[in-house]
Amino acid sequence: MMIPDWPILSLIVFSPLAGAAVLLAMPKQRARLLRITAIIATLLPLALTLWLYADFDANRVGDSFEEYAAWVNIPLDQAGLGGGAASYGLHLDYRLGIDGLSLPLVLLATVITAMAALASVTIRKRWKAYYIWLLVLECGMLGVFLARDLFLFFIFFEITLIPMLFLIGIWGLFNREKAATRFLIYNGLGSAVMLIVFAIVVMTAGFSIGDTQGGGAVFSYSGSYETILANLSDPQAVVNQVAAGNVNPFYLSNGMETALFVLLLIAFGIKLPIFPFHSWMLSVHREAPAPVVMIHSGILLKMGAYGLIRFGFFLFPEQAERFAPTLAVLGLINLLYGAVIAYRQQELRSMLAYSSLSHMGIVLLGLASLHVIGMQGAVFQLVSHGLISALLFLLIGSFYERTGTSRIDELGGLAKAAPFMAGALLAGGLASLGLPGLSGFVGELLALLGLFDTHKVIVSIALLGIILTAAYVLRAIMGITFGELPAKYGSMKDARFIEALPIVVLLAFVLLLGIYPSFLTELMKHGFDPLLHHINMRVGG
Amino acid sequence: MAYSQAAWLIPVFPLAAFLVLTALGRSFRRSAPIIASIGTLGSLALSVLVMVEGVEYRDRINWIKIGDLSLSIGFDVNHLTSLMLVIVSIVSFLVCMYSAGYMRDDERLTVFYGYVSLFVFAMMGLVLADNMLMLYLFWELVGVCSFLLVGFWYHKPEAKAAAKKAFIVTRIGDAGLLLAVLLLFWYMPNHALDFVGIQNVFQGQSGAVDAQITTLIALLVFMGAIGKSGQFPLHVWLPDAMEGPTPISALIHAATMVAAGVFLIARTFVLFEASAVAMDTVAYIGAFTALFAASIALVQHDVKRILAYSTISQLGYMMMALGVGSLTGAIFHLMTHAFFKALLFLGAGSIIHATKTQDIRELGGLGGRMRLTALLFGVGALALSGIPPFAGFWSKDTILAAALDSNPALFAAGLLGALLTALYMARLFFRVFAGKPSAISEAAHESPAVMTIPMLALAVLALGAGFVETPWYDGLSQWLLGDEAPAHAADGYTVPIIGAAVALLGLYIGWLAYVKRTIRLSAALDAMPSARRLLENGYGLDALYTHLIVKPYRLLGSCVQLFDRYVVDGLVQLAAFGVSALGRGTARLQNGQVQTYGLAAVIGLLVLIVVLAGRRLWS
Repeated sequence: MMIPDWPILSLIVFSPLAGAAVLLAMPKQRARLLRITAIIATLLPLALTLWLYADFDANRVGDSFEEYAAWVNIPLDQAGLGGGAASYGLHLDYRLGIDGLSLPLVLLATVITAMAALASVTIRKRWKAYYIWLLVLECGMLGVFLARDLFLFFIFFEITLIPMLFLIGIWGLFNREKAATRFLIYNGLGSAVMLIVFAIVVMTAGFSIGDTQGGGAVFSYSGSYETILANLSDPQAVVNQVAAGNVNPFYLSNGMETALFVLLLIAFGIKLPIFPFHSWMLSVHREAPAPVVMIHSGILLKMGAYGLIRFGFFLFPEQAERFAPTLAVLGLINLLYGAVIAYRQQELRSMLAYSSLSHMGIVLLGLASLHVIGMQGAVFQLVSHGLISALLFLLIGSFYERTGTSRIDELGGLAKAAPFMAGALLAGGLASLGLPGLSGFVGELLALLGLFDTHKVIVSIALLGIILTAAYVLRAIMGITFGELPAKYGSMKDARFIEALPIVVLLAFVLLLGIYPSFLTELMKHGFDPLLHHINMRVGG
Repeated sequence: MAYSQAAWLIPVFPLAAFLVLTALGRSFRRSAPIIASIGTLGSLALSVLVMVEGVEYRDRINWIKIGDLSLSIGFDVNHLTSLMLVIVSIVSFLVCMYSAGYMRDDERLTVFYGYVSLFVFAMMGLVLADNMLMLYLFWELVGVCSFLLVGFWYHKPEAKAAAKKAFIVTRIGDAGLLLAVLLLFWYMPNHALDFVGIQNVFQGQSGAVDAQITTLIALLVFMGAIGKSGQFPLHVWLPDAMEGPTPISALIHAATMVAAGVFLIARTFVLFEASAVAMDTVAYIGAFTALFAASIALVQHDVKRILAYSTISQLGYMMMALGVGSLTGAIFHLMTHAFFKALLFLGAGSIIHATKTQDIRELGGLGGRMRLTALLFGVGALALSGIPPFAGFWSKDTILAAALDSNPALFAAGLLGALLTALYMARLFFRVFAGKPSAISEAAHESPAVMTIPMLALAVLALGAGFVETPWYDGLSQWLLGDEAPAHAADGYTVPIIGAAVALLGLYIGWLAYVKRTIRLSAALDAMPSARRLLENGYGLDALYTHLIVKPYRLLGSCVQLFDRYVVDGLVQLAAFGVSALGRGTARLQNGQVQTYGLAAVIGLLVLIVVLAGRRLWS
C-alpha cells in the first residue's frame, strides 16, 4: 500500500512523544494502564516503520521521503562581506531523510524499543516516569538515525543522554547513580568533541554562495547534510579552493580534514565503543535495568557506528581510506581483547558487555574494508548484534528476577526449571557465536569477506575470534543452563506470556535475517554509493 | 529427471519433522519416534529413487546479492552425492527406529527426536550443497546438532564438558575451512564457489589459481576435515563425545557426521590432486591417525570409547586412501564403515541397555544371555576386522591396494593398522561375550525387537555391501568416476590374501590372549603402569592441551582483565580525579575573603607585567 502524502518520518520520530504526552495525563498508580499505553506507543513507530519498509524503494540512490522545514535562521552582519549580498545568514533546518543506511537501524530501534517496553514488566517502581523517559529516549534515537542536518542530529543525540541518565540512575541496581554519572560525563565528552567538529564543518563546508535573487548573491552557512556533502565532494566548491594570495576562511586543508576525521572517530568511538574508550559501557551493562540495557546495547551503541559512517566516512572518504588499516587493526583489537576478557567473567552482564566490545570489532573490520560487501556486513552486524544482545539481556533480566543473581558461578541447571527460557538463551548464544542460519553469521561472514580482499593477514587473525567467541559464549551459557539445578531454584517458573512474546519476536528476527539476509541487504543496495563512488572514481581515475 | 529435480525435498522431510516436533512439545512423547521416522523414511525413499535414476542435476538460487557479487544456495545431484544420501538416510532411519526402544523412558524424547531430525536435515543439506559456502553453513549446523546431542543429558557434568569440547575443538578446524572459503572467493575466477566451477578451474591445471595458493586452500580445507573427522591432532573431542546417547554415537559419531570430512575432501578432490604437498599431508596424517588411534583402542575399558578410537582409526584409513589418490577406496570404506560401525554402536547400545554398564571389565559371558546381539555384534566385528567376505574386508582391500601402488610405507602402516584393528576387536568381543557370565551379565536379557531389527538390517549390509567393488569387479569406481576409473591391477590376489591373513592373525592372537589365555599381551604394560596410564589416556594429549593451551589462555584472560581494570579504566579514573581535584583546588580560591582575591589580582598583574616586559626584552 502506498504511503499517502504524510510526513511519515516525522510521524515515526515523534509518535513516541505523543505516547509520552498521553502518559503524562494518567494517574501514576495505574501500572497496568500505563504499561499498556506505553507498549502501544512503541508499537506505533514500529508499525509505521514496517509500512515504510514495504514501500521503500531500494533502487533509489540517496534519501527517500525527505522532510524539510526551515527552523533556525540567523541573519548575520553583512558589514564583514563588504555589501552586495541579498542575504547572509546561518540556517539550521529541520531535515529528515531515510536511505538504505538509516532504514535498517530505524527498524532495529523500533523493534527493540517495543520489545523492551514489553520486557519492562520487571520494573517495580515509578512506572509513569519510567515509561515517559523510555518514550523520550526512543524519540531521540529515531531522530538520530533520520536527521539530515548536523545540528538536528546533535540535538537528537543529546536527547538520548538525558533519559538514559534517569533510566540508569533511578531504576538501576546498587551502583546505579555512579554508573549514570559516569555514562553522562563520558558521553558528554564525546558529544563536546562532536559539536566542535560540526561547528567547524558548518562554518567551512556548510558555506555556499547561492544564485542571485534580484539584489545580489545569497551567502549562507548551512547545517544541511546534503549541502555539506555536496560541497565537500565538489572540487569547485568554496571549501576546496586554496585562494592564491589572500586566505580563504572557508578552506579545509587536508590536514584539517584529517583532524576532523580523527575527532569524529573519537566522538563516535566512545559510543561504539572502540578500545580503549569502552570502560564507561561496562558499568552501564552492569547497573542498568535489563530493558534499558536491551536498548543501550541493542540501539544506543549502534549510534556510534552510524555516526562514524554517516559523518566520518561519507564526509571524509579520503581520510577513511587512509585510516582504513588503522580501523582494521582497531577492529581486530576490539574483537580479540573483548573475547579474551569475556572468557574470564563470572558476571553475565560483564561477559555480555565485553562480548559487545568484541562484536563491535567486527563492525570496524567491515567498515575498514571500504568494500561494498564489508560495509553491508558492518551494518548487518549492527542490526544482528542489536537483536541478539537485546534477546540475551531480556533473558538475563528474567532469570535475575527469579534468582536474584546473574553470576555464572551461582547459577546452573536452569534448563530443567525453565526449559523455554534456557532454550532461548542457548539459541541466542549460538547466534552470538555466529552459527549459520542465525543472523550473527551473516554479519561476520560479509564483514570478513569484504575485508579479506585487502587485509588478508588481519582477517586470518580475526578468524581466531570465532573460536574464542565460541569458548566464552558456551562457557557462560552452558554454565547457567547445563549441570545440576541448585535445589533453591527448583520451584522456578518458566517465562510468562508477556516475557515469551518479545523472546519469540526477537528470535524470529534473528532467524529471519540468518536465513533470508536479503531482507536487509536489499535495502542497503545503494546505501554506500556516495562513499564507494568516490573511492572507485579515485581508484579508476 | 523428475526425482532428481525434487532432490531438494530430501532434507525438507526431516526439517518438517523437526518443526512439527518442536511445535508439539513434550506432551506428544508417543508420536515423536513415528514423526521422526516418517521424516527420515521420506528422505530414504526419495534418496533411493534419485540414486536409481542416476542422473546429474543442479539448481540454485541467490541467497545474498551484493552489487554484482552473489552468494547462492543450491543443490547438486550426482553419483557421489546420491550415494551419500542413501547411506545417510539408511542409517538415520534405522537409528530413529532403534531409539524408540533405547530412549523409551527418557522424558525429553520429543526433544531428542527433534534434534535428530534437525541433524538429518543438516547432514542432507551438507551432502546436497552445490557450493563451498553452503556446505560450510550445513557443516556448522551438523556440528551444533552434534553438540546438542552430546550434551543431551545436560545435567551430567561429563556430558556438559564433552559437548563444549566437541564444539570448540571442531571449531578450530572450521576456522580453517572458513578461511579456505574466503580464499576461494577472492582467487577463483568470477568469485565462483560452486563445486562444478572448482572442478573446471583446477582440473585442467589452467593456472588460473597460483599453485601455492592452491596448496594453501587444500590444506585449509583439510584442516576443517581434521576437526570434523577426528584426525590427529584434533581428534580429542570424539572419544569424549561418547557421553551422548548411544544411538547418537552410531548415527553422528560413527556413520555420518564424522565422515563429512572425508566427503568434503572427495567433493573438492581436484584441489588436492592439484597439490602434491596437500595429498601427502592427507595421506600421512591419515595413516598416522589410523595407527595412533588403534593403539589407544587396545587398552580402553569402555565399550564405547574402544569403538570411538576405532572410528578415529578407520577415518584415518579413509584419509589415507584419499591421500594416495583413491577416491573410490575412501568412499567405499566410508560406506561400509557407516554400516558396520553403526551396527557395532547399536550393538553396544543393546549391551548397555541390558546391563547398564559399558565397562568391559564388568561384563563377560554375555553371549549366552544375548545371543542375537552377540551374533550381530560379531558380524560387525568381523566386518571391521577385515575378514572376508564381510564388507570391511573389500573396502580395506581397495585402500591397501591403492597404498601399495603409491607408497609401500603407507601400505605397511595400513597392514599394521589392520592387525591392531583385528586384535582390539577380538579383545572387545571376547571380553564381552565369551567366558563365564559375570554377575551383571547373569541378569541381562535380550533387547526388544525394535532395537534388534535395525541391527539385523545393518548386519545384512555389513555382510553384503562389500560386493559393489572387489578386485574383480569395479562397480563402485565406475559409478563414482565413470570412464576415468583406474584399471585394477592384473594380479588381483596378492593384496587381498595378505590383508585377510593379517586380519586373521590379529583375531587369532586375540583368541589366544582373551579366550585361551595362553599368552598375556598386557604383561609388558603391566610392568610399566605409567606407560599404561599414558596409553589409556590417549597419550596424554588432553592433559597436554590443558597445560599448553587452556591454562595459558585463562592466565592471559586474567592478565588482560587486570590490564583493563587498572590501566585502561585506571587512566579514566585518574583523568576524572585530576579534573575534580582541579575543581576542588579552584573552588578553594573562592573563599569569600576580599584579601585573597586582592592578592590573586596583584599576583596576576605582576605576572602580566613580567611577561610583557620579558617579550620586549626578548625581541
